[in-house]
Amino acid sequence: MLKKRLIGMVVVKNGWAVQSFGYKKYLPLGKPECIVENLDRWGADEIIVISIDRSKDNLGPDFDLLQRLAKLGIDTPIVYGGGIRSVEEGVKVIQVCADRICFDALLHSNLNVVNELAASLGVQALIGVTPLSLNDEEVELFDYQAGTTKIIKSDELIKISNTVSELLVVDWRNEGQPDSFDFNLIDRLPSFNVPLILFGGISTVKQMQALFSNENISAVAVGNFLNYKEHAIQNFKERLTDMPLRTAKYENSIIEIS
Amino acid sequence: MSRITIGIVDYELGNHASLLHSLKKLNYRVLVSDEPSVLDQTDVLILPGVGAFPMAMKALKEKKLVSYLQQQAQINRPIIGICLGMQLLTEASYEGRYTKGLGLIPGETIELAEPLSHIGWNNIDRVNSDSILEGVEGKVFYFNHSFAYEGPSSYIKFTANHKKKITVIVRHGSVVGLQFHPEKSQAAGRELLNKLIIGMIDA
Repeated sequence: MLKKRLIGMVVVKNGWAVQSFGYKKYLPLGKPECIVENLDRWGADEIIVISIDRSKDNLGPDFDLLQRLAKLGIDTPIVYGGGIRSVEEGVKVIQVCADRICFDALLHSNLNVVNELAASLGVQALIGVTPLSLNDEEVELFDYQAGTTKIIKSDELIKISNTVSELLVVDWRNEGQPDSFDFNLIDRLPSFNVPLILFGGISTVKQMQALFSNENISAVAVGNFLNYKEHAIQNFKERLTDMPLRTAKYENSIIEIS
Repeated sequence: MSRITIGIVDYELGNHASLLHSLKKLNYRVLVSDEPSVLDQTDVLILPGVGAFPMAMKALKEKKLVSYLQQQAQINRPIIGICLGMQLLTEASYEGRYTKGLGLIPGETIELAEPLSHIGWNNIDRVNSDSILEGVEGKVFYFNHSFAYEGPSSYIKFTANHKKKITVIVRHGSVVGLQFHPEKSQAAGRELLNKLIIGMIDA
């Protein structure tokens, strides 16, 4: 049986890992490599690294960071997002380090590139990122580059989701705030053909249990809240044994936490 | 026995860094090359791959590696295909357009129907026992694919269940295909890779 995934999210700004709050306030954490290395050691099911300033500043993917991550030789799948503008850049991101890529701006600026990426890399390598929120029961999409929101219709969301293998839905307003994920957002989303990854304001076991119980949700991503405690992934998994998750393992031990 | 050398077949699709690190952690000597003269110096060939089947076959043809790999299989050289690498071992794939593969394992690569992709960690179930794959039953590995093997059941060693059975390990003599990524499957992946390499050399 396919397991649900507990994903570690690493937000990178100006080359540094940061704690992010609502896509507008940031606190430095340190070198992204150190955070990624910890998440790998703690047994994260996947690690998403997003360089949030690369598209906004038209810098392209952060290949220096990707090369540093590749040198770590970690055993955990890496998803990279940030600055991908073309098929060539997406392919190079995979060649340098990542197992999969994710993107937000590209979904709205050039779906042809997304389709070409699928032809080159396989659709399974692609994750679409959609920062969403609810306003008077309407689903709104946040445009990070412009700093504005606009209503996004269900058919538009479905069209986007059909170009990727999973959709990463970000509750951007509540991102970084503990126990604040807006569950009403899920209820207002259309029925997708692809599974959802959820991120933003997810910090408690109770929230995770509720989300993992939803058959349309394949994974939950956690950012800030994994950095407050050593072995945070294991700590969550120890308390989620009733959920279909992979058992967490310590890197230097064969003892399973059950 | 002298130190075992693994040859990673480099046809410029996907990244080799993780596989290279995994093999080095297991204390193997590793050569990454597209040159038959270099790959000839190794004990086991690994064909990795992330991407689409037609592009991968095109790259293998351009590097004149198709006939080399077919010849190596004929002389019973151990060959392991990983993910797309496993699919390339088959006779053909329907990804994008019908494309002939290496033909080292009877069967074809077909698109997954509902669900469309098999992404994440899944445990594997034994179909046919195999001495080089003992102890692998029930272990959990990382998958990331939208196409899968379909062929004679005699070559199928393990499957995974994702609403239906998906073939995840195939073997035909000295050729083994793994649909998952052992190099991205943490301790379970390294254990399997080690077991497989030693088993294939001793076989």
